[in-house]
Amino acid sequence: MTPLLQITNLHASIEDREILKGIDLTVNAGEVHAIMGPNGSGKSTLASVLAGREDYSVTEGSVLFNGKELMELSPEERSREGLFLAFQYPVEIPGVSTANFVKTAVNESRKHRGQEPLEPAAFLALMRERMALVEMDPSFLQRSLNEGFSGGEKKRNEIFQMAMLDPVLAVLDETDSGLDIDALRIVASGVNALRRADNATIVITHYQRLLDHIVPDYVHVLWNGRIVKSGDKSLALELEQRGYDWLKQEAAVEA
Amino acid sequence: MSTHPLVELAQRLVPAHVVSGDVESSDGRLDALRREGLREFVRMGIPTTRHEEWKYTNLFPFIGLDYSYAPVRWSERAASTDARTSMTEVASALGQHISIRIVDGVVEANLTNVPDGVDILELTSDIVENDKDVARTLGSGAPIGSHPFVALNTALLESGIVIRLRKGVQCELPIHLSVETTANASTLIAPRLLIIAEEGAEADIIHSSHTSGGATVLDVTVVEASIAATAHIRYYKIADDSDASRSISSVTADVHRDATFTSHALSIGGRFVRNDLAIRLCEPSSQGFLYGVSLLAQSEYTDNHTVVDHMVPHCHSEELYKGIYDGSSTGVFNGKIYVRPQAQKTTAYQSNHTLLLSSKAQVQAKPQLEIWADDVKCSHGATMGQVDDEAIFYFRSRGIDEATAKALLTYAFVSEVAEKISLEGLRELVMRRIARRLSAESILA
Ligand SMILES: Nc1ncnc2c1ncn2[C@@H]1O[C@H](COP(=O)(O)OP(=O)(O)OP(=O)(O)O)[C@@H](O)[C@H]1O
Ligand SMILES: [Mg+2]
Repeated sequence: MTPLLQITNLHASIEDREILKGIDLTVNAGEVHAIMGPNGSGKSTLASVLAGREDYSVTEGSVLFNGKELMELSPEERSREGLFLAFQYPVEIPGVSTANFVKTAVNESRKHRGQEPLEPAAFLALMRERMALVEMDPSFLQRSLNEGFSGGEKKRNEIFQMAMLDPVLAVLDETDSGLDIDALRIVASGVNALRRADNATIVITHYQRLLDHIVPDYVHVLWNGRIVKSGDKSLALELEQRGYDWLKQEAAVEA
Repeated sequence: MSTHPLVELAQRLVPAHVVSGDVESSDGRLDALRREGLREFVRMGIPTTRHEEWKYTNLFPFIGLDYSYAPVRWSERAASTDARTSMTEVASALGQHISIRIVDGVVEANLTNVPDGVDILELTSDIVENDKDVARTLGSGAPIGSHPFVALNTALLESGIVIRLRKGVQCELPIHLSVETTANASTLIAPRLLIIAEEGAEADIIHSSHTSGGATVLDVTVVEASIAATAHIRYYKIADDSDASRSISSVTADVHRDATFTSHALSIGGRFVRNDLAIRLCEPSSQGFLYGVSLLAQSEYTDNHTVVDHMVPHCHSEELYKGIYDGSSTGVFNGKIYVRPQAQKTTAYQSNHTLLLSSKAQVQAKPQLEIWADDVKCSHGATMGQVDDEAIFYFRSRGIDEATAKALLTYAFVSEVAEKISLEGLRELVMRRIARRLSAESILA
C-alpha cells in the first residue's frame, strides 16, 4: 500500500536560513500522528511547506502525497487533492462572508473532481450540519470570515472548513491553543468524527490534553529542524513529565 | 503662438452671425450662450498639466488630433457591434426602463412608456427660447468661465436632451440616456443634458456613452441638474466604453431645501475618463451623495474631480470613492469640500480608498477641505493598499486559485460603495465587470 504521505530528507529555508534540516516522515491511511517540539523548532514551517507557502524554498528532499510529488503542485491544487491545513493563526478576511468563502472552496474542489456545484439549499443544509459538529452557531455564516472572531471561534471555524472540505490528510497546527476546556473537547470530537480508514491526521500540539481526546498512533518530536525522536502515545506523556531537555541532550550527543 | 486645432475647429463651427452678434440683434438665448462659450474657450485654450486642475490629466496624446464635429445626422448609420454590445449590456442591466438614445447625433427616444409628468425634450433653440425652466437652467450651473471643455461644449451647443420631472412625479422606471457614436475618423461630440426636477419629484437617471468604429471619439459632455425642494435624483454616470473613447464631462447639480442629489460615477471600462462633479447645497437640509467606483486596467485613466459646496446651514454630504487599479493604469481623485462661513451645522464626510492590483498602477489622491464655519462635522480619509498576501495564501490553501481570491477580495473592497447602487441590475453589472477583469468569472455562479 502506498503511504498517504511520504516525506524524505526534506530541507527548507527562508531567506537563506535553513529551518527544516532533513525531515523523514511516513503517514499511512487511518493513522493519527502527533508532532510536538519546542517553540521555534520548525513545526509550523513543516505545515506551511506542506501547504505550499511560497515564502519557503525547498532545497532538498521530496514529499509524496498519494504517490504524487507534492512540491510540484500549487497550494490550491494540493487542497483540491485533499490536503488541508488548519492554521495556527487563521487570517481575517473582511468583507468575504464565511458562507461565501466556504461555498467557493467546496465548489472548486467539486469542480476538480468533475462534480457539479451543490444546489444552494443542499449546500446550506450541509453547512449547518457540519457547523453542528463543532457546535458553531449558524450566524457565523453571514459574518466576515474570521473578522472579530475570538481565538477559539477561529479554531472552530478551521475545523468547520475541514469538515466541509473532507480532506484526505489534515494537518492541524496548534488547533488546541486558545481553546477553553469545553471547546477543546468539542473540537476534538469534531476531528474524531471525521476520521476514517482512508484518511489521516497530523496534529501539531504542545499539550498532552489534546492527545487525550485525539489519540495518536505515533508521536514525533521535532527539534531544530529534525525529527529527533518518534514513539507511540506514551512518548507524549513522557514529554509532559520530563520536558524537552533530555531529548536535546540525546540529539546533541548523536549529532 | 499658433492656434490649437481644437480651438480652430470651434471657431470654424460657430457661425459668423453668432460670433459677431451683439445684444441688439435678433439672436436668442442659445446663440448668446454659444458666443460666451466660444469666447471663454478661446480665452482659456487647452489646459496643460501646469494647470492645477489638470495636473495629472494628460490630454496631449489625443487632444491635437484632427477632429471633425458630428452633432448632426450622419448619412452613414452603421450602428456597429461594439457600441451595441456595451450599450445593450447597460440597457439589459436596467431591465424595463425609458430609453433615450443619441445615435450618431440623432435622438431616438422611445417615449411610449414615459409616464405623465415626465417630459423628455430635445434641446432646440425653440425650446430654449420658449421654455422658461429650460432657459433658466441652461448655462446656469456649468462652469463656462473656468472649465475649458464646458466652454467648448457650450460653444458647440446644438443638440441635447432635457429631462424634466414635474412636481411630485415619482418615475418608477429608470431613465437611460445612451450616447452611441460610430467613428471611422477622429470625431468630437458634445452632448448636453439638462435635468430639471420639480418639487418632490424622484427618478433614477443613467447616462452612458458607447463608441465604435475604431477611430478616436472625444466626448465632451455637460450635464446641469436643478433639484427643487424635496426632490430626489439619483444620477449614474457610466463609463463602459471601448478603447477609442476619450471622455471629459462636467456635471453640476443645484440642490434645494430637503432635496437630495446622489451621483454614482461608475468607471468600469474606457481608456480615458475625466469626470468633474460639482454639487451645490444651496438651501438648508439639502443633501449630496457622491459615490464612485473606478475599475481600471492596462493604461486606462480615470480622474474624478469633485466639489461639494455647502452654501447654507444644516446640509449634509457624503462622499465615497473606491478605485481598483491594475496594469499600468492611473486613478486620480481630487475632492474639494467648501463650507461657507454661514453654513453652520454642516456635516460633510469624504473618503477615497484605493486597491492597487499591480505595482505599476498609480494613484493620485488629494482631499481639499476649505472650512470657514466653526460648528461643523467634517472628515476625510484616504487609504491605499494592495491585496494581502497572507489572505491570498489562506484562500489558496482552501483550493481557491489566486485570480478568484483576488476577485473575492476586490469584491469585498468594493462592496461598501456598490451597496449604495440602488438599481440592482447596475450593481450586478459592476460586480460582473470586476469578475471579468480579474479573470474569475466562476465566482458569478
Ligand atoms: N519569515 C521568516 N523569516 C525568518 N525566520 C522565520 C520566518 N518564519 C519562521 N522563521 C523562523 O523559523 C523557525 C521555526 O518557526 P516555526 O514557526 O516553524 O516554529 P514552531 O515550531 O511552529 O514554533 P511554535 O511552537 O512557537 O509555533 C523560528 O526560529 C522562526 O523564527
Ligand atoms: Mg507554530
